[in-house]
Amino acid sequence: HDSDGNANTAKKYSRDFLLKFSEQFSNLPEGFVITSDIAEALSVNVSHPADLDSY
Amino acid sequence: SLKKSVSLPYQPHPLEHQWTFWFDNPSAKSKQASWGSSLRSIFTFSTIEEFWSVYNNIHHPSKLAVGADFHCFKDKIEPKWEDPICANGGKWSVTLSKGKSDTFWLNTLLALIGEQFDHGDEICGAVVSVRARQEKIAIWTKNASNETAQVSIGKQWKEFLDYNETIGFIFHDDAKKDRNAKNRYSV
Repeated sequence: HDSDGNANTAKKYSRDFLLKFSEQFSNLPEGFVITSDIAEALSVNVSHPADLDSY
Repeated sequence: SLKKSVSLPYQPHPLEHQWTFWFDNPSAKSKQASWGSSLRSIFTFSTIEEFWSVYNNIHHPSKLAVGADFHCFKDKIEPKWEDPICANGGKWSVTLSKGKSDTFWLNTLLALIGEQFDHGDEICGAVVSVRARQEKIAIWTKNASNETAQVSIGKQWKEFLDYNETIGFIFHDDAKKDRNAKNRYSV
């Protein structure tokens, strides 16, 4: 599983293929923890980041 | 048969590498704090689906505060000159006017995670830097002295971005010594 970047074994995806998924995954992934020091980077509304650590 | 296909568990699409989003929060910086002390990893993703789940919930560069840096680096590589994998590397940079980097940033990320570069193994990651008068996107690479690989990456990046102006490659070693380090390569 440790690839050296060999072009023949790489999992390549074109831009158009990747973009097909863009609308389908709008919720933060499971296990995502919103802490106060990264809340500024998120576009989701976070009123009390600390309360959301169990999101 | 339709019902059967609907009930199949969804199989996420694995990426070749795991990637980590990092955010550097300028508001947490104080003059006493050393560079990089406000650098925070946000999430490590390994599938197309996880990438969008995060990307769709983070600010795009035009919405970030001035001074902010947003990074996407291969897992286990820290976006710092001191990281052992980055130490002998360098970076290609594209400079954009204010509010113009969102599409370039997304296309850079898609080219990275989709492994579109012939010398993708040379790439550490990418960073977008929001500054008062401009936005800058850079791709960091591992072996600055490998000219063939760097030039290939620079040329391909311009194609993916549909960017026609000349871009330059700076060695981290030069940048450490001189704020105005000269480009070693340009394409």
